[in-house]
Amino acid sequence: MPVIEIKQLVKKFGKLTALNGVDLTLDQGEVHAYLGPNGAGKTTTIRVLLGILRATSGSVSIFDRDAWKNSVELHKRLAFVPGEVNLWGNLTGGEVIDLMLALRKTGTSHTERREMFLERFELDPTMKCRAYSKGNRQKVALVAALASDAELYILDEPTSGLDPLMEKVFQDTILDLKKEGKSVLLSSHILSEVEALADKISIIKEGKIIQTGTRAEISQVAAGRTLEELFLSEYQGR
Amino acid sequence: MSSLAAFWQYTRFILVRERIVGLIWIVALAGSAILFAAMYPGLFSSDAEMQAMAQTMNTPAMVALMGPVYGLDTLNTAIIMAQECLIWFAIAIIIMNIFFVNRYTRADEELGRLEMFRALPVGRLTGVAATMIGALVLNLVIALITVCGLIALNLPGTTVAGAFAYGLAIGAIGFFFAALTLLIAQLLSSSRGVLGVSFALFGLFYVIRAWGDMQNSDLSYASPLGLISRVFAFYENNFWLLAILLGATLVITAVAFVVYVKRDLGEGVIPARPGRKHASRFLQSPFGLAWRLTRNTVFAWAVAAFVMGAVYGSVVGQLDSFLNQNEMIKQIVEGFGENKSLLGSYIAMLFSILAAVGAIPVVNAAMRIYAEEKRGRIEQVYAAAVPRLSLFASFMVIALVQSLIFLTLTVLGIYAAGESTGQLVLADLFKDAFVYLPALFLTLGVAVLLIGLAPRLSLLVWVVPVYSFLYDYFGRLFNLPDWVRNTSPFGVVPQLSLEDFTVVPLVVLTAVGIVFCAVGLAAYRRRDLR
Repeated sequence: MPVIEIKQLVKKFGKLTALNGVDLTLDQGEVHAYLGPNGAGKTTTIRVLLGILRATSGSVSIFDRDAWKNSVELHKRLAFVPGEVNLWGNLTGGEVIDLMLALRKTGTSHTERREMFLERFELDPTMKCRAYSKGNRQKVALVAALASDAELYILDEPTSGLDPLMEKVFQDTILDLKKEGKSVLLSSHILSEVEALADKISIIKEGKIIQTGTRAEISQVAAGRTLEELFLSEYQGR
Repeated sequence: MSSLAAFWQYTRFILVRERIVGLIWIVALAGSAILFAAMYPGLFSSDAEMQAMAQTMNTPAMVALMGPVYGLDTLNTAIIMAQECLIWFAIAIIIMNIFFVNRYTRADEELGRLEMFRALPVGRLTGVAATMIGALVLNLVIALITVCGLIALNLPGTTVAGAFAYGLAIGAIGFFFAALTLLIAQLLSSSRGVLGVSFALFGLFYVIRAWGDMQNSDLSYASPLGLISRVFAFYENNFWLLAILLGATLVITAVAFVVYVKRDLGEGVIPARPGRKHASRFLQSPFGLAWRLTRNTVFAWAVAAFVMGAVYGSVVGQLDSFLNQNEMIKQIVEGFGENKSLLGSYIAMLFSILAAVGAIPVVNAAMRIYAEEKRGRIEQVYAAAVPRLSLFASFMVIALVQSLIFLTLTVLGIYAAGESTGQLVLADLFKDAFVYLPALFLTLGVAVLLIGLAPRLSLLVWVVPVYSFLYDYFGRLFNLPDWVRNTSPFGVVPQLSLEDFTVVPLVVLTAVGIVFCAVGLAAYRRRDLR
């Protein structure tokens, strides 16, 4: 049973077609990288997965259940880092992390993991969110997601604004999650990150998946080129 | 002087950045100061009316609000204008100065702009000195335009000295708060904190003045607002009080300069207090989040409702003389109940208007959920296991709480200020007010409906209270037929101080409100979020 199964997903905003028949499968214990330039439809796919947007047609399921109809139940089993982290200026980072963990209602205590990730990411939880730098706001969202003991992690460009040291911490954490058998959908621009972490890669262009497969399969397509060269050629038609 | 290097360029730069906002403030403040003054000759048809007005102003509640009444022995239009208007323009210019100084000091510093300038060959003191010169220019321009306008208007009783006393009092209080804000901006490290503390001090000074003026004690001199309210323009013209204020301003400015030079850029003298490391139990729920986001507004509206009630309640004892001063208001009040008691008509008008004002906090609380959506903060909440209904319902509960608090506190305000007349019955006031609850609920329903079905059009909800408000003013004035009144949800509510209680309109309003809420919520569950 795949963790995420998207079949022929179409999403239209009025006349604009944002997703034009997307297929994507994420299996248990797998890190699936989701690549594409800005505006290709990555975030829209994720927002449909989360039940924030309604699919125009096609089927979207998580843990074999419809992602729109069962969104609240499903969200108890997944954690999410938004592509653009907007926090409440008058709450502290610690308060936001506790709030997000509590709203997931898993009933388990996260205290230990919370402290561990605060330490790993060197985040001061007592600062008001408006006083955080961009990187620190990103860390708040990361700690809130990673500290929860979820089965599936949906991460939308989770490392934007992080320094190389923190990027390393992030990559180590994802590898740990993989060892624990967790599944990760990782939308990213950072190709080195994708190469270090991904088992499978899907590339989206103008609302359609144009490449998908395991890292080995993608390397075959790349035929000796790096992932970056492949990516650029797919997009520039070179 | 190297610490003031590039001073003139920097001052010019501030004035250029300020050209639009500053110009708006100048036009709005000086313009309305002159416009208000120009309306005064038309307000009184005889000296007796003017005396009656001054007596109305001489009640404790009014003195607490606006300052001491003076010059009753030689009362003239200029004196009564100055006595009634000064405090409002003082309040406005203080607000302008607090925002202005914060914008060019702590806010710029917080955003890292100041650092950029300090890296240039710009003197250490240049930024703060230029800010104060900018504030001086703004205040002086507003003061002098007001002075010229008053001299040109030449109200009965105008003297050149009086015009200067009035105009400079406005400018001086503004400049004083510029200096005060400058000092606070050195002490605290966040611009929000600077605004908060500056406004808190402003409030404190206002209360000290109100208290002192009510007791007629020298306590008022401890407040800069008390000083200017005793300048007594067009009567005693106490310029020495303005000199004291200016002296205090210069001392505070000098202290602020010293602190600024000694401290590190980006830091405050008082270190930022670390916030909570953990969320309280209460915050860890959708309602807790909604409450946390709205609680400050709830408290602010509670205070505002009480003050508004008190202002209206304070004239209950002098209704006759108050209404006789102004033919237009009289006509509006009488439009509420022809041949009925004046007090009954006044109360009816009061709650009709206040209920429409009460729609503001109610609608704001409901609209907050859409504001959160627009700011991109709601996605992460729904990505956790939060049903859409539970968050929306939380904001709706807060909206309902707002309506209860607003009505209760306006009643208490009216009663507190007017109970000494012996004409008010608390239980009746509560009934007069709470019949409007269904109308407020319907307004909430309209907001929920729009947020669910057509969020982009949700601002249209304001049509409901604005229409009712306009009808209260113009409908009564022009004697529009009754059916017009019944087109407004606030208009169909029985005015218990004049009419008998009828339950039908209230049931209809509530039922329609429930339907709107239900449809709006259902639509909200199904729609795409931004």
